[in-house]
Amino acid sequence: MDLREMLRSGVKSLARHKLRTLLTMLGVIFGVAAVVAMMSIGEGARRAALEQIRLLGTNNIRVRAVAPPENEGEQNSPGLTPRDAERLRAKLPTVRAVSPLRFVESTIARGSEQPSAVAVVGVGAEYAVLTNADVRRGRFVGALDDHAARRVCVLGDEVARELFGPSDAIGQEVRIGDTRFRVVGVMQRTRVRSGGTRVIEMRNFDRDVYIPLETALRRFTDPDFPRHIDEIAVQVSRASDVMPSSLVVQRIMSAAHRDVADFQIVIPEALLAQSQRTQRIFNIVMGSIAALSLLVGGIGIMNIMLATVTERTKEIGIRRAIGASERDILGQFLHETLMLSVSGGLIGIVLGALMAFGIHLFAKWDTVLSPLAIVVSFGIAASVGVIFGLYPAQQAARKDPIEALRYE
Amino acid sequence: MLVDLQGVSRVYPMGATECVALHAVDIGIQSGEFVSIMGPSGSGKSTLMHLIGCLDRPTAGSYRLDGIEVRSLDDRARSQLRNRKVGFVFQSFNLIPEYDVLENVELPLVYGGVARQERRARAEALLEAVGLSARRQHRPNELSGGERQRVAVARALVHEPPLLLADEPTGNLDSRTGHEIMKLFHDLHARGTTVIIVTHDANVALWSKRTIEVRDGRIADDSGTPAAVANAEVTAGVEPGPVWREEG
Repeated sequence: MDLREMLRSGVKSLARHKLRTLLTMLGVIFGVAAVVAMMSIGEGARRAALEQIRLLGTNNIRVRAVAPPENEGEQNSPGLTPRDAERLRAKLPTVRAVSPLRFVESTIARGSEQPSAVAVVGVGAEYAVLTNADVRRGRFVGALDDHAARRVCVLGDEVARELFGPSDAIGQEVRIGDTRFRVVGVMQRTRVRSGGTRVIEMRNFDRDVYIPLETALRRFTDPDFPRHIDEIAVQVSRASDVMPSSLVVQRIMSAAHRDVADFQIVIPEALLAQSQRTQRIFNIVMGSIAALSLLVGGIGIMNIMLATVTERTKEIGIRRAIGASERDILGQFLHETLMLSVSGGLIGIVLGALMAFGIHLFAKWDTVLSPLAIVVSFGIAASVGVIFGLYPAQQAARKDPIEALRYE
Repeated sequence: MLVDLQGVSRVYPMGATECVALHAVDIGIQSGEFVSIMGPSGSGKSTLMHLIGCLDRPTAGSYRLDGIEVRSLDDRARSQLRNRKVGFVFQSFNLIPEYDVLENVELPLVYGGVARQERRARAEALLEAVGLSARRQHRPNELSGGERQRVAVARALVHEPPLLLADEPTGNLDSRTGHEIMKLFHDLHARGTTVIIVTHDANVALWSKRTIEVRDGRIADDSGTPAAVANAEVTAGVEPGPVWREEG
């Protein structure tokens, strides 16, 4: 019996009991949908994590200013200042780049237009290198800008579009807070949206405005702590240097701050690794649910196929008398089960893709439907068909043709 | 010799004991014969039919169908032999209810590996021959008993097997339709097909040229062996005794 005939007879017998066929497929449908959704979420999270690593800069160590504990006098420590950055640059053997950061919430406006809120970031010249940030037009903040505390700024992609639309922003004047700045560069657009699956709190980089650190300290002075900065970004040469270097950073900083815990060391990549471990747990849970659903679905299919085989004993007898071999009968029932599970699998893939899209819409998680997910779940569906179809098909093939012909 | 059984026995294991359905039976049927096999139920005539139709294998002895020894064949080869050499017609028609008439007639060709186009053409030709062309899109349950049996005959013949094996073909039909079916077998025989009918109905057996009677797993009477023919001619009117050969 050729393949085409097997498919034809399979379609006929499945179409005979449409509701039963659908109910039988449900387990496989949900199982496969769970696999597809899980893999989509996993792939989305993986890509988001990679993009985050790229944006935070590879091999980074961040030193963040935190409020010192109540009982420890502020007099003992000067707090986080640009001098700490210089200290790290001088004393950390593995250092490659260092940039102090100061964050100011301010507004930006072009001419007399309505000002809009932006995150103004005072940075050192090495910041762009350190974070792999690309300048789309013009240049980044330079060392001379910092020395001379020039009033120049580099706009994030979204800010530039908002203020200047399609026209060129370079050389134009903008008002940040009450001060006039000249635009010297526009950043490349980043692809990470805020919120969602982020483990590390990330602001929207496209709404950043970068100015020289000295300018930030002088123009946006905090009267209580005039030289305080918020963060120091340190980049070391190799990935394997990150962990040992962080200990050295800790020691250098502790000595300089007289053991006052007014700073915190953060390693973005370690946090991302942690988040991926969490992701793995999620995958295991979802995977177990999917496996269980597929198992139950497979048993359901086997159950129905065993009933079908008994129900169609007479037909088996007739086919055997006409010239069907045991192999023909085996093939016929195996194909039927396979069609059942593969159709269930296809419906499941569609359902899983819809689930992934729904999760993206409502939970704002990044989901990516990869071709691998489709291939894997299709393979799983087909395997379920073969594994759980083999036994009923064998039962059908082993029926004694004479007994089968007598069956009423 | 189309059907050649020599010392064929069929023994079924029944727990600790054995049930002997056929005792060393010898039958020879030439190509072109019209034979009926008769016997009461439990006589072993069904077992004999299953053996001749290659649905079963002898436990002892030799069975050659069209020169091929059946006993040593595996399932696949035996299925192929059934497909090529034997056309079955059953008492309860045994058509597949989900398939229409044409598809039912085509089915032996499907297992015979015949291409789709040719299958269709041959099935149509046979339906034409049994006068059911107009019904080819109908399902079996839309047909009368006689029509169903004619479809079954068309299916049995579609692969042009040398042997037509019918098991009580008129059992589920009224006498008029039964007559029509027997007339069909008669015509087929006249055109050269070898026909074997298994029946307990003496009226059906009358259509055949030779009757083999089975009783208690042995051939009780065979009007076709050379000895019986000679005997019948010499001692006309005298009941011939049981004729069989001992194994060996």
